[in-house]
Amino acid sequence: MELVSLRNVGFTYAYGDKPALTDISLTIEPGLLYGVVGLNASGKSTLCSVIRGIIPHFHHGELTGEVRIMGKDLLDWDPAELSKSIGYVFQNPFTQISGVKETVFEEIALGLENLGIEREEMIERVTVVVRELGLEALIRKNPNELSGGQRQKVAFASIIAMDADFIIIDEPTSQLDPDASEAVFGIIRQLKERGKSIILVEHKIDLMAEYADRIIVMKGGQVVMEGPARDVLVSDGLGDAGVPYPEVTELAFALARAGKPLSSVPITRAEAAQLVSDRIKEAPHAHSAL
Amino acid sequence: MGSSTVHELDQDFINSFRSPATAGNRIRDLNPISFAIIMLSCSVTAIALPGPAGPAAICLLFAVLSVAAGLAKTFLPLYGKLFAVVGLILFVLRAAFLPGNHILWTVGPISISAEGIIQGLNFSLVVMAVCGAVTFFFAVTPMKNLMLALEQRGVTPRATYIILASFQAITDLGKNTKVVMDAQKSRGIETEGGMVRRTTAFLPILAPVFLAAMSQTEERALALDARAFNSRNRHSHLVSLRPVSSAEIIVVCAVALGAVLSIVGAVFIWN
Amino acid sequence: MPIVLSDASFSYPDGSLAVDSVSLRINDGERVAIVGQNGAGKTTTVKMMNGLLKPSTGSVLVDGVATTERTTATTARSVGYVFQNPDDQIFGSDVQGELEYMPKYLKWDQEKTEARVARAAKMTGIRRFLKVNPNDLPFAIKKFVAISAILVGDCKYVILDEPTAGLDGRGLKLLNRLMDELEAEGVAVIAITHDMRFVVDSFTRVVAMANRKIIADGGCTEVFGNDEVLSEAKLKRPEVPQLARDLGLSTTALHLDDVVTLIG
Repeated sequence: MELVSLRNVGFTYAYGDKPALTDISLTIEPGLLYGVVGLNASGKSTLCSVIRGIIPHFHHGELTGEVRIMGKDLLDWDPAELSKSIGYVFQNPFTQISGVKETVFEEIALGLENLGIEREEMIERVTVVVRELGLEALIRKNPNELSGGQRQKVAFASIIAMDADFIIIDEPTSQLDPDASEAVFGIIRQLKERGKSIILVEHKIDLMAEYADRIIVMKGGQVVMEGPARDVLVSDGLGDAGVPYPEVTELAFALARAGKPLSSVPITRAEAAQLVSDRIKEAPHAHSAL
Repeated sequence: MGSSTVHELDQDFINSFRSPATAGNRIRDLNPISFAIIMLSCSVTAIALPGPAGPAAICLLFAVLSVAAGLAKTFLPLYGKLFAVVGLILFVLRAAFLPGNHILWTVGPISISAEGIIQGLNFSLVVMAVCGAVTFFFAVTPMKNLMLALEQRGVTPRATYIILASFQAITDLGKNTKVVMDAQKSRGIETEGGMVRRTTAFLPILAPVFLAAMSQTEERALALDARAFNSRNRHSHLVSLRPVSSAEIIVVCAVALGAVLSIVGAVFIWN
Repeated sequence: MPIVLSDASFSYPDGSLAVDSVSLRINDGERVAIVGQNGAGKTTTVKMMNGLLKPSTGSVLVDGVATTERTTATTARSVGYVFQNPDDQIFGSDVQGELEYMPKYLKWDQEKTEARVARAAKMTGIRRFLKVNPNDLPFAIKKFVAISAILVGDCKYVILDEPTAGLDGRGLKLLNRLMDELEAEGVAVIAITHDMRFVVDSFTRVVAMANRKIIADGGCTEVFGNDEVLSEAKLKRPEVPQLARDLGLSTTALHLDDVVTLIG
């Protein structure tokens, strides 16, 4: 069964003068990692809010069309049940700390307390995410005194610990260094391998190319493209929506423009390495002529 | 992963959650509700006992208990200040304005009587005993333990969250002040110097800071919802409080009985 | 006149070091990227440059004057600093009010105020948001508002803390254009960033920090060519230069065009 289906969905915020989303029809299948890309203010976060039911249960406005989550109409869902079934990591790293826990360890445990998890299992699960995200040095610290990057990791850990089968993650690495970003993506990959369904908003297109199964491209409140990552990331539609291509894809385009195209267009560095080395082997003279 | 120096997991800290939270002191480890009853009983006793010796004894008791709880350093200076300011003012006002037959001194229109002094002493000591009970209670009881105890007695997590968050908001406001001052300095507004200069830098953005804090409350509410805070099943707790021992129950009952007896005494004997 | 840090250290009240004996010189109109892991000491270093933090030992001179000799506000008027979190910096109820705050404080005449505000709003592409409450704007645009508020002033140096966080391709182009304009005006730009492609594409000089110290300071080619530095500062080369290296084409090529010529 499909996880989420949207049919002709539109949404206008109560305080907004024009629609944030227009005529979106989309199906999300379980067990896949969907990447959402598009310019700032193209509707990515609003789409996530609809899929998670924050719209219309929390943010008010005019929602049109039909949204079904796990086969049930969004309007029939109990908001409290939605919050248990769908994990959500928000975009702004600075406002996701509960403000009522004195240590990072307790902060990460908060969601599990709310789910009624028994203490021993709670300690176990928090310890696991602390290890996975390399937060060992922070567990005694006061969450209210962390830096932006640390907060972002703690917020991510707090949601991952809750272990929902379906997780929406909105720009989890905007404040993180390259190493920590890779760690976060590594965890997202593990989640996928464990069969979780994930929707991920992220500007780092190279990482997206590496990890996403399918890509949703948004522009001006509409979904302009949806398909396998491989197809979308090399398509004209991506550029038309103002989204940069993966670096190696751009390299392939540049090579084609220079009259020396690769045999296919890569989206990851590994693929590019293969394609370029094939071509160097084919044309050793061209290379030595430089 | 992700860190240049590999940090060991602080296993002692994690294990501390496996047993009930303890401050390593019998008084501080009393259940917050028990302790609240004890402090309430002390206040009632102080009001009922004949003064000034009765309430004075209770005030002294708090001082002694604070030493026993290992909190003398924080509690005594605070309590001392309360005595010096609130206690003294109440005493002086009562002593100066209560009429009586035994006039000791007359200064202009004010006549100070022996009755006035006794009454003033009684009244201010009773108030100080009640103040002491409240102050000592909060000195001993961490807010989060109190909330946990309340939740175990059926108070909703929503109510305890609001209380905790309000206290946190006060702390945050202090911290935000620093951020605001940093931001002001960073854009070239003089904040260093006397009170006037600091105030002129701070006041114009006070209202916006409050508004920004309000708009962040919405985001915070959403972040809490993401942690299944609104879920209706029973919430569990990472931190646990010690079970209430029978000795503790006996102590609480004894103190409460003392309060009841002192009321009986006040009604039937001393008056 | 430059910004000069000489053996500048900063320690927290508890005595632990946040920055350990850093020496660095930022020349007029220069563009410098400061890179390194979260917690490496980058933000503390730049806060010492604008006087928000004063060095515990060593010295920081801005245009020849030690930051300890002046108030932060005075130093900050020549060294503007855009915070990592725009919420910490923006207080106005509309963008225009935010931009006019300093001109009003400094009692600029209307002509100068209008000219500076218009210039800053244009450079940061926020003209159409002037009447909007900054709290209703997305994070990335709010950040441009914060940058704009700093650009209204007459800074000789502008520090940007994580300017590319959450930025899309269009925002990135805008940021680059803005830095070009500042360069043309002779304003130095110092950026803290985790975005290595941004570093390679937009900066000539890179300062890499790790464990509270500067471990490398030089041209992009030099720093990104040094595996030891990259691994100590936990940095990653951008994809294409890494590809060129993996294939043994070049250890120094950083730009797409260079790599295109290398591939026959």
